[in-house]
Amino acid sequence: MSDAATLAQERTQIINDVLEGRIPKRVPVISALTYEFSVEYAGLDLKTAPWNTANFKTVCDKICQDFYADYFPVIHLRFPALYRTLGAKNWIVGSGGFMQHPEVEGLHVDEYDDLIENPFNCIMEKVLPRLYDNLNADPVTRSMTMAKAFTIFSEEFGTIGAVTAELSAKYGYANANLFTAAPSAPFDFVADQFRGFKNISLDVRRIPDKVEAAVKAVTPLLIKMGMPASEPGPNTGVFMPLHMPPFMRMKDFERLYWPTFSQVVETFAKAGLTVLIFMEQDMMRFLDHFAELPENCVLWFEKGDPKLAKEKVGKKHIITGFYPVTLLHTGTKEQCVDKAKELLDILAPGGRYYFNFDKSPLTLGSANPENIKAVLDYVGHNANY
Amino acid sequence: MLDYEALTKAVGDLDEEDVMSKLEAFVAENPSHEEAQKAVAACQSGMAIVGDLFEQGEYFVGDLIFAGELLTNAIEILKPVLGQVSSEKIGTIVLGTVAGDLHDIGKNIFRSMAEAAGFEVHDIGIDQPAEAFVNKVKEVNPEIVGMSGVLTLALESMKDTVDAFKAAGIRDNIKVIIGGNPVTKEACEQIGADAFTTNAAEGVKICQSWVQ
Repeated sequence: MSDAATLAQERTQIINDVLEGRIPKRVPVISALTYEFSVEYAGLDLKTAPWNTANFKTVCDKICQDFYADYFPVIHLRFPALYRTLGAKNWIVGSGGFMQHPEVEGLHVDEYDDLIENPFNCIMEKVLPRLYDNLNADPVTRSMTMAKAFTIFSEEFGTIGAVTAELSAKYGYANANLFTAAPSAPFDFVADQFRGFKNISLDVRRIPDKVEAAVKAVTPLLIKMGMPASEPGPNTGVFMPLHMPPFMRMKDFERLYWPTFSQVVETFAKAGLTVLIFMEQDMMRFLDHFAELPENCVLWFEKGDPKLAKEKVGKKHIITGFYPVTLLHTGTKEQCVDKAKELLDILAPGGRYYFNFDKSPLTLGSANPENIKAVLDYVGHNANY
Repeated sequence: MLDYEALTKAVGDLDEEDVMSKLEAFVAENPSHEEAQKAVAACQSGMAIVGDLFEQGEYFVGDLIFAGELLTNAIEILKPVLGQVSSEKIGTIVLGTVAGDLHDIGKNIFRSMAEAAGFEVHDIGIDQPAEAFVNKVKEVNPEIVGMSGVLTLALESMKDTVDAFKAAGIRDNIKVIIGGNPVTKEACEQIGADAFTTNAAEGVKICQSWVQ
């Protein structure tokens, strides 16, 4: 067996161990560096490089060479060609070239009943034409736009799949597929894409019954979005980046957020998927709720108290995150490595932990690459059980 | 006759129906400008309660957004009886989200709370380059500049903006506060800001301490 294949076998095993709740040989490193960070690191221009799918391999190869990882280290979520073709308003490029989600209103407040009655039709007829200018057209034009967009989508994902497989074989990364889909929690879906952060905050107080019914109505669509087409193999995950809980009162969270979210997670878990949940901002208030989810969810924490998280959910779920990307920007190499040691001391005992930062570094300017390398190297080579 | 204390409490409780019905009844009585100013002050005191409850972990960001909306609607009802007397301004803030970042929720919350506290706020919007901050500072000569950002890339833009203040020779004329998800004490030092916060209510208190 080649060195890379041996390495891949070992890495597959430690990731499989950690995801299934066994203590692995060492703490796995699964760092999702954004494609935007990677593009800039490779010396390409963020405003132009992501338009050309052919750059993906060159960019990722450079990252694979220079940064320690046990799993393919680049995550690519934002596709300018796709969103530009659609005329998207919900994903637009900032002045620095980084694509982001601005405040949008895909559904007006007096249209809740339409959404509740028939969510699919309402999304097709009202929401999509508002969020995507080029779908706000006659049927022929919008069908052509949709066909073009879908072609781009297929090509992008085809390239990503092929390059990921090729480089994973080359560098001996784990055989795993952790980000097969990224469905939102139902409440976040209604908040982020339909009503906007501001409006949903008003709706929660003014018309909670409508919000509750809308969140329930879209739940089957989100389940469908994340369900695998065939029986998932081991190490197969679905990614749920959560957004709104830290900004909500507990009673609103319990009524409007948790029931449908936990239903979605349970459905995915039953289907054999590992559910990777990004815990945006500080979700310490909700740890008791998360402790109720089916065993072996991955909870990727941004902020909060790692000790408390380990104590409350660390015996049932898998913890990752908590490492502040901001420190990678401001700290010295030594400070950065010390922080990793501190987190390993708290989170590694007993297993159910893999290393990742608290979020993905977005651009080259947001985290010093030399610090990232030092931290990943340290964890990759020193965190043995 | 309007019970100002009850109005303050209703705003603090975020009881929209109660606030609106109190103010509608008040306006229908055709109050004097002075009385109307008192009503505005009562609402602003209510916002201070909201800020305190937020700091205590009773309220969350969604509540601050709702409070901002509530205050805007309250002032809207009072406008016809407010007259020309402008309430006393305690200071001027130039505010914006820095280059590369399109987020504005936090900035807008801070703006409505700062305005409620008596600041005149010049909001230059999202994704604003350093020159835009410099130009606005030169134009309105504020005591304070507030820079907002949610993404980690905002830290670099905040530093660029402070550097631009230095280059323009205006850094010493202003206090700079940075706010948003990625800011930390260390980031604040590197950027060269005077203060940082991830909490809009605390941010307003810092600004108040600077103009006292």
